[in-house]
Amino acid sequence: MTLYGQAIISGVLAGGLYAMMSLGVSLSWGVLKIINLAYFSFILLAGYGSYELAANQGWDPFVTVLAVVPVFVIVGGLLQLFFEKVKIGEFESLLVTFGLLIMLESVARSIWSADFRRIPSTENPYASSSLRIGEFAFPTPQLSAFLTAIVIGLLMKYLLDRTYFGKAVRALAQDRDMARAFGVDHRRVAVLLSGLAAATAAIAGVFIAMSQALFPSLAVEWFGIVFPVVILGGLGSTLGALGAGVVIGVVAAIASVTWGPSYAPLATFVILIATLLFRPDGLFTRKASV
Amino acid sequence: MSRRTTVRLGSFAAVAVALWFLPTLQGPIGFPIFYLLFGYTLLFWFAQASSWNMFTGYSGYFSFGQGAFFGVGVYTTGVLAAKRGWPLIAAIPVAGILAAALGLSLGFVVFRLRRLQGEIFALVTLAVAFVVAAIARVSSKIDGGSGIALNDVQLPDFLGTFPSMMFRLGLVIAVLTVFAAATIQHSRLGWGLFSINDDEAVAESLGVPTFRHKMMAFGMSAFFAGLSGAVHAIQISYITIEDVFSIRIPLFVIVMSVLGGMRHWMGPIVGATIIHTLTDRLNRASDLELFGGNVTVSLDHLNDIIIGLLLIVMVLAVKDGLWPRLVDRKWAAAGAFVVGILIARIWAPEMSPIGQFVAGELGAVAVLLPSSAVIDRWRSRGGPSETPDEPTSQPTVGATP
Repeated sequence: MTLYGQAIISGVLAGGLYAMMSLGVSLSWGVLKIINLAYFSFILLAGYGSYELAANQGWDPFVTVLAVVPVFVIVGGLLQLFFEKVKIGEFESLLVTFGLLIMLESVARSIWSADFRRIPSTENPYASSSLRIGEFAFPTPQLSAFLTAIVIGLLMKYLLDRTYFGKAVRALAQDRDMARAFGVDHRRVAVLLSGLAAATAAIAGVFIAMSQALFPSLAVEWFGIVFPVVILGGLGSTLGALGAGVVIGVVAAIASVTWGPSYAPLATFVILIATLLFRPDGLFTRKASV
Repeated sequence: MSRRTTVRLGSFAAVAVALWFLPTLQGPIGFPIFYLLFGYTLLFWFAQASSWNMFTGYSGYFSFGQGAFFGVGVYTTGVLAAKRGWPLIAAIPVAGILAAALGLSLGFVVFRLRRLQGEIFALVTLAVAFVVAAIARVSSKIDGGSGIALNDVQLPDFLGTFPSMMFRLGLVIAVLTVFAAATIQHSRLGWGLFSINDDEAVAESLGVPTFRHKMMAFGMSAFFAGLSGAVHAIQISYITIEDVFSIRIPLFVIVMSVLGGMRHWMGPIVGATIIHTLTDRLNRASDLELFGGNVTVSLDHLNDIIIGLLLIVMVLAVKDGLWPRLVDRKWAAAGAFVVGILIARIWAPEMSPIGQFVAGELGAVAVLLPSSAVIDRWRSRGGPSETPDEPTSQPTVGATP
């Protein structure tokens, strides 16, 4: 029983990280109608950036967020500006960002090689530390990632539900042309939102660098986790992504404990297919809206 | 059979027979054996890119699942031929059928969704290769995580030595695949797929059986990808999950088809030729040493950057691919091809024939890249304009950088 209890705990905690990784893709797809695979490379490069600062400059891994996130806010905003400039459609965005992903992965490979890169434990005391409650362990990186994800999720929710910016975003998601006719500055909203989305991706990257080894092909491996989360959570839904992240995390953890780690992708895929068949709009959406 | 179909069948058969005897000429003429293996790889990419394009190019449904079908083909050979001692020839059709079965069951699930079909389809196919890989890794009957060596597979000896055999197997599969792609394009199925590409709702309401058309095309696409993968297993010779199910196969078929043009069966052929010859030369080139050897640039890494960049540029600027432009400007392209080869011969006389071919190819591509709007303006003025600010009647959308 302890084994399963621990599996559920680590699944829930991992779910927070999955949600942060998926939030950018989900918002960008749901609101901006751009399927942006480049977020995967943002996560990876942010992870490498954090690794560089922590391993070679001796920064505390948590502090690296301060340096990494602003960079990716700018990168995300610029990328969106470029998309606005060339007036990209949904399918084209998928292909263009796929090309970008391949290029950035190759850049990562030429800088950091294909070997595993991990922040040495002398610079990263958090990797092996954990909070213990009774017989259950809450590893520090995962726990802090989970808490951060909840904070980010709630902030995003507040931003989208309660502010003028959020109103503009929702208007754009529902009917782009009509929103424009009512005076919503599409470009400004899109660039801001894209910057925010890239920021969550970068934060996820920092937490990943803190808890595991990095290698360039990780970016592609994340597809198998992020897309089930995005579909399950519903496009553009922040709390949906959070809930879906936890569901996927728990299912993957239980599958790993019961049958072995190789079965985790199978379990998440079964969930993805079942969602597509029975709830194509996601588990957490009430009706077919964003 | 209509006259057109007969002519097409005849010309494909003629090409196939002519190329079939190419390995026989190797002895008398004495060209290096390397060319046979190079030719095999080129034919492999023809088959992969054409099989992908016969569904995605015609219907507009973007599949990232090529790696899964290819992988099913590779592992069918691995399991049946290497582990159970089947002859290779018997394993190949089974590979095609298994891959088609995977494609059909995937399509059965995804094509039933009403909303967001296209996007969801793309992403599910992205995930499916990982799942097939996970199954192969878990099951010790398939791989179990250790890889399979294909050293003592029963090869079809009647096809000649190893290079000749590979070339001929690749040839048969490539010709079948390309012939199928060309036939579909000019058939009722093809017109149905193109109408789905243009507007699926309208096609549906006009009576196009969209679900059946998509299933048929996707099944065939998977079938040929599986066949081609089954032969390629022999070429790889030691198969591992990481290599077989990597993102390379879907990436390459997408870039090849987008480059060549996706609405004609010749598109993937043109794209595959350009990409394969170019990447082959870049892979063989030694590392560039810049600034007196202080900075070394590995062309291997540059390769992926070029591929990615090419994809972005083509999608944004040359939406229809090179084939329609090649038809439009065949003489200019042929001229540039010859000029490219001549320059290569003068500049680097020791360059290999494939290198010279790449040089000619780059010349032709340079002629094809400017959009037709640019060309028309140039023609109508009888030369490049001195005053670009002057208003023109020609729209300049999509002008290439």
